[in-house]
Amino acid sequence: MSDTGKKPGSPNEEGAFWSIIGYLVSGLLIWGGGGLLLDKWLGTSFLGIGGLLLGVTSAIYLIWLRFIRD
Amino acid sequence: MISQSATPTNPGFVPPGAKDFQFPPIWGDSIYLTKPVILIGLSVVIISSFLLAATRNKAVVPGRLQFAGEGVYTLVRNTLGRDVIGPEYLKFVPLLFSIFCFILVNNIFGIVPLIQFPTMSHIGFPVAVMIFSYVTYHYIGVEKHGLVKYLKDICFMPGIPKPVYLILTPVEILTYFVTRPLTLSLRLFANMFAGHLLLLVFAFGGEYLISSGLIMKVLGVFSFGMAVGLSFFELGIQCLQAYIFTLLSALYIAGALAEGH
Repeated sequence: MSDTGKKPGSPNEEGAFWSIIGYLVSGLLIWGGGGLLLDKWLGTSFLGIGGLLLGVTSAIYLIWLRFIRD
Repeated sequence: MISQSATPTNPGFVPPGAKDFQFPPIWGDSIYLTKPVILIGLSVVIISSFLLAATRNKAVVPGRLQFAGEGVYTLVRNTLGRDVIGPEYLKFVPLLFSIFCFILVNNIFGIVPLIQFPTMSHIGFPVAVMIFSYVTYHYIGVEKHGLVKYLKDICFMPGIPKPVYLILTPVEILTYFVTRPLTLSLRLFANMFAGHLLLLVFAFGGEYLISSGLIMKVLGVFSFGMAVGLSFFELGIQCLQAYIFTLLSALYIAGALAEGH
């Protein structure tokens, strides 16, 4: 998406801010949540932490792709 | 507003909470006729009559009312429509303008004396407004790019190695279809809920303190003063939240229209 926008200015910064929040929440929810569920199912304890880390990493990578690379 | 602390037995200070957002039915047992529902209807009447009055006697040199109406419209059209969406902005201005006015008036109800309840602090109302924006931006995305290309653009960001998609695609899907609408409505709801609760704490606290001892009366007056001061602070938040909701809707529409996202 073109959230980075055509013009620098406050509307697009606000949009970028909320996009970043959205990515972080999504990443943590889907990978961290998945890891925690797997932990519960398999009786392990490292998948939850691993999932959270993977989630944050993927979210930050997506943020980099969207806002810094372009 | 229901008074909490003035019971004859005086059980101590009862802090305001989520229970103060529940209203009894106004007429009969109907759960569909409570204060927030009346306020929503009232907001529609207020907005409609204001806009009708503002546009009735259109003049090249605008009167005071027309000037106010045009001011709000110009703000939405230029800073939220034209600057964010780009060349195709004009057909989305009615939607954005309606969303902005609707949320703004319902938020400001929170500090209007005698009304004093921001309708948007009931989660159902922000969700309803969010559904309009959500359906619109996905619909125009599908309409412009076709369903397959639209979904492909969402799922696969160009220029990264293929195995990485396995990790990133679920995050993207969740962002576009769950997190975005969720944050859009929750932010508005939470801001209005917390703001109203803050005012209730100072108002109820002031009421309780004034009914207590002499020194406490002074503090109670101070607490009421805080409630009045914070009302003006709330006014800023209320306008800002209406603006941000509309802005993000415009940004999502712009994103759906954009080539290759």
